[in-house]
Amino acid sequence: MSGSLNGNSASSGGGATGAGGDDFFDQMLSSLPSPWADLANPKSPWDLTTGANAPGSGEDCGGYDESALLASRLRQHQISGSGSPAGAKPMMLHQMLMSAAGRAPGGGAGAGAGGAGDPSGFFPLPLSLGRDDVEGAFKSPNGTGAEGLFNGYGGGLPGAAQANNQPPFHHAQQGAPMPAQNFGGAAPNAGAQAPAPAASGGGAAAPPRQRVRARRGQATDPHSIAERLRRERIAERMKALQELVPNANKTDKASMLDEIIDYVKFLQLQVKVLSMSRLGGAAAVAPLVANMSSEGQGGSNGAGGSDSSLTVTEQQVAKLMEEDMGSAMQYLQGKGLCLMPISLASAISSATCHPRASASHLGGGPAAAAAHHLILPGPQAQPNSNNHVNPDGPSSPNLSGLTAQSAMANGNADSHKDASSA
Amino acid sequence: MNRKNPLPNSNPNSPNSSMQALHFLQALARIARAAPKPAHSARTRQIRHAAYASMAHSSRSSRRTWSRALLHRLRQWQQQRPGRLLTVRRRVRIVTPITSRPEEPARAETLRQLVPGGRGMEYCNLLEETADYVQCLRAQVQLMQTLLDAFSS
Repeated sequence: MSGSLNGNSASSGGGATGAGGDDFFDQMLSSLPSPWADLANPKSPWDLTTGANAPGSGEDCGGYDESALLASRLRQHQISGSGSPAGAKPMMLHQMLMSAAGRAPGGGAGAGAGGAGDPSGFFPLPLSLGRDDVEGAFKSPNGTGAEGLFNGYGGGLPGAAQANNQPPFHHAQQGAPMPAQNFGGAAPNAGAQAPAPAASGGGAAAPPRQRVRARRGQATDPHSIAERLRRERIAERMKALQELVPNANKTDKASMLDEIIDYVKFLQLQVKVLSMSRLGGAAAVAPLVANMSSEGQGGSNGAGGSDSSLTVTEQQVAKLMEEDMGSAMQYLQGKGLCLMPISLASAISSATCHPRASASHLGGGPAAAAAHHLILPGPQAQPNSNNHVNPDGPSSPNLSGLTAQSAMANGNADSHKDASSA
Repeated sequence: MNRKNPLPNSNPNSPNSSMQALHFLQALARIARAAPKPAHSARTRQIRHAAYASMAHSSRSSRRTWSRALLHRLRQWQQQRPGRLLTVRRRVRIVTPITSRPEEPARAETLRQLVPGGRGMEYCNLLEETADYVQCLRAQVQLMQTLLDAFSS
């Protein structure tokens, strides 16, 4: 019996836990009662006399074929469904785990002992075959471990009921790639399909004891596991995308995808529109950027001294500003210039600051304003230029989204709206 | 295993967007300094290319598939434009139809066309690239909008 069990764990072979399972299995076989003693569930049946119970409890040891496996599964399912502990290995195991967790002290033991006590000896074996975390759960059982085991294993612990080619059973975690290698061909699948639907009906699911433990009612063949992994990855990426994209309250995946596509299109369109309206800005930035290293751009320097005529313009603008800000702005726009605070310009040129809230400078005194402002070649004063708005009111035709924002932002010349909240 | 950006970083003061802004501004300066004043449409195109180039060069995205594909696309665009005769040459895309798998939603193909480099990716990676691309796009749009506001105030 130990030989067959060893054979099982050895046959599991290819997975990384196979070798570990061997070691652990030997350990378990050598000291079977001890872990269970820790669980405060000492049982005399916990010995290696499982061979005698093999027929009684169905197929606990190796050497099972599919039909035997199915039969045992169905029987256990029925048994577990009825709640009778007799032969209900999963139930017994569950109870033992629960008791070990301190929930039902003695209850599990009683049930375990009452039922096929010998088969109960098998419980740890299949669980621990090549299962690191099951081992951990056994060694230090806690509520979650027990529940996890219970959920995963459910009734699927027909002793070591595995075909020879079936690898030992262990928990299916999300990222368990190794299970794929350990699955036989159709054998585990057949075992999985039949009990799976039956298990889902019962209180204790009975997936086949294969390398990957599936959730209740789910198949455990490698393809479906890979599929599940892939689906989960896609789902988490979709969730991340949902945070990025506004109006992400759609729960439907298809509509979420539509939303994402629309948003990407919208952003690309915005880039296009913004680039259309930035013609003057490009020219304006040039002197600033050129002077970045020299940091010589000051108010008096105006637009980096690119044009001597600018000084004349400056004087003119200063004069105008004394009279009326609006006319000054109009004059500037007629010349294709715009006014901006120095702080703003330097902020932009340093390209690290978020130029914001400098509009208060606009309201400064004329002389001070002239000193504190740069006169930059602004956007062209054309009817179709949209990147500036007269303080008097928008007089140029607007592109819908873009200038609506600009209008809102500049309509109140004293405060900048947060235009980035597009 | 999860290589996604931990959080959507839309902070304009972060080093990512600073680098992006710097690239963009330098590109704009280059455009402005171009001696022959190009036409409106040409300049628009140049600015748009500058925007995408600065996006692709930002530190966050330099390792991404979409940034490489975007740069490649940009180079093709720039090569095509100068000579009108050259526009006849179509970009031959040798795309095997592996991209359309049965499990994907119907709109996945559209997304592939939108996101640069999306053709050769699996759906899973496509979503990841889309997230990063959207982040960069948003940063770029915010940057341009900010500049726009600054210059039009």
